[in-house]
Amino acid sequence: MIEVKNLTFSYTNKPFITDMNFDVKKGEIFGFLGPSGAGKSTLQKILLGMLPGYQGLATVGGTECRKHGDSFYQMIGVDFEYSTMYEKLTARENLEFFSSLYEGKKRPINELLERVGLENDADKKVSDYSKGMKSRLNFVKALIHDPELLFLDEPTSGLDPTNNRMMKDMILEEKKRGKTILLTTHNMQDATELCDRVAFIVGGQIYALDSPHNLIMSKGAAKLTYTWDENGERSGSCRLDCVADDQRLSKLISENRLLSIHSSEPTLNDIFIEITGRTLV
Amino acid sequence: MKAVRLSFMQMIKFMAADMMLLAAGVSPVLMGAAIRFGIPCIEGLLMEFTGLPRVISPYYGLIDILFAAITPAMFCFVAAMVMLEEHDDHIDRYLFVTKLGKKGYYISRVILPAMLAFAITCVILPICGLTEMAFIKVLFLAISGTLQGVIIAMLVVNLSSNKLEGMALTKLASLLMFGAAGPFFLETPYSYMLFFMPSYWTGMMVTCNNSLYVIPTVMVSAVRILILARRGRY
Repeated sequence: MIEVKNLTFSYTNKPFITDMNFDVKKGEIFGFLGPSGAGKSTLQKILLGMLPGYQGLATVGGTECRKHGDSFYQMIGVDFEYSTMYEKLTARENLEFFSSLYEGKKRPINELLERVGLENDADKKVSDYSKGMKSRLNFVKALIHDPELLFLDEPTSGLDPTNNRMMKDMILEEKKRGKTILLTTHNMQDATELCDRVAFIVGGQIYALDSPHNLIMSKGAAKLTYTWDENGERSGSCRLDCVADDQRLSKLISENRLLSIHSSEPTLNDIFIEITGRTLV
Repeated sequence: MKAVRLSFMQMIKFMAADMMLLAAGVSPVLMGAAIRFGIPCIEGLLMEFTGLPRVISPYYGLIDILFAAITPAMFCFVAAMVMLEEHDDHIDRYLFVTKLGKKGYYISRVILPAMLAFAITCVILPICGLTEMAFIKVLFLAISGTLQGVIIAMLVVNLSSNKLEGMALTKLASLLMFGAAGPFFLETPYSYMLFFMPSYWTGMMVTCNNSLYVIPTVMVSAVRILILARRGRY
């Protein structure tokens, strides 16, 4: 669905994106993870055909992004991080207008509003909406023309836990419907839960690209931590794949002296810091 | 084309919902009526008061030039305000990635209002104008006014970051229209100092009664529009 080869781009004389390579398969949820200024938005703009001055290859649905025609945006739905609604219009009026710009079959507005819990606020002006409501409305706006490819920028930002869950379920439903999804997020938990593959981007370069599970497993094994009583509570730990080699643990188990035992895996955030040396801020 | 039409209609609805923009949209008609009926009245009173045979009438051509520029200026001001509000609300960036696209957006926000203003000017200028006007003169004055309207809209959108700044800048940008006064009040070669203003050449067109001056009007306007398009914020 998306192919990027030797992509280089700069706003000034200094390269901002350098020799980037990746591809996104149809039906995949692909995550871009990186701190602010890493090049995620620039990459998104290139793929959306908004920055044609790049070098290398960047194709979306077989179309070179810098040479796209009118039909290019028919297959793309975009959910920007910020609200992109007419504040003086109601939610329904906004969706009706944006829907009318596209050709082909559209998804029913009422159904989409109901799905994100906005059916009772459909005729309320967007200026009266909360941040979370605007975020949900923005998301369904990207779905209105039933595009094949979705660009989602921080789709769960500003949502309460219930709506966050609902949004993630909707994203997974879209994947089931065969949509390809490009997700840009700072939220490692969302990325772990939603993405088939993620790319760590820092300084305009991809530092790692794999499934969240593989990244976690390849860079940091799960750890086992245990405590026992020996003149007060004491603790020890070992790698999960070396449990049999820990003689103290074997002895404590055989003597039934363990007070607690639990395993812990590194998070994607830990892996990000380990690989890039940066935090996601 | 459907998306461009719908986007243009959306702008009209937007304008209708905003009292200030609505007033700006209908102001050319009110101004036309004021010029058509008010100025000859004032001229009569001034002639009576001063005892002179002519007071304002030598400048009727200048008033016609300014009136020809008013409709496009107002329509393009409305378009610029809508564009600034859409920029503030990030809607323009979203529209760029819809079927409308960036090109379609600018057609619906600049080209179509300018074309509408051109058509309206062609209709109301012969009705409300103060001088005898052949069709070709009406056409050239409408072209000149429309190009100035486009320049004003592009200046305002490129240099303002919000509606308030946009309104202030529109007043400043509207001074472009007063280049037309140059040939009426300044002797050549001094008046040539205003060569960079498209309206100056329109003034020359009227004072010299020479339609060929439409060529420098279009050329100077085209250069300005190209510069603004290249240095545009987007």
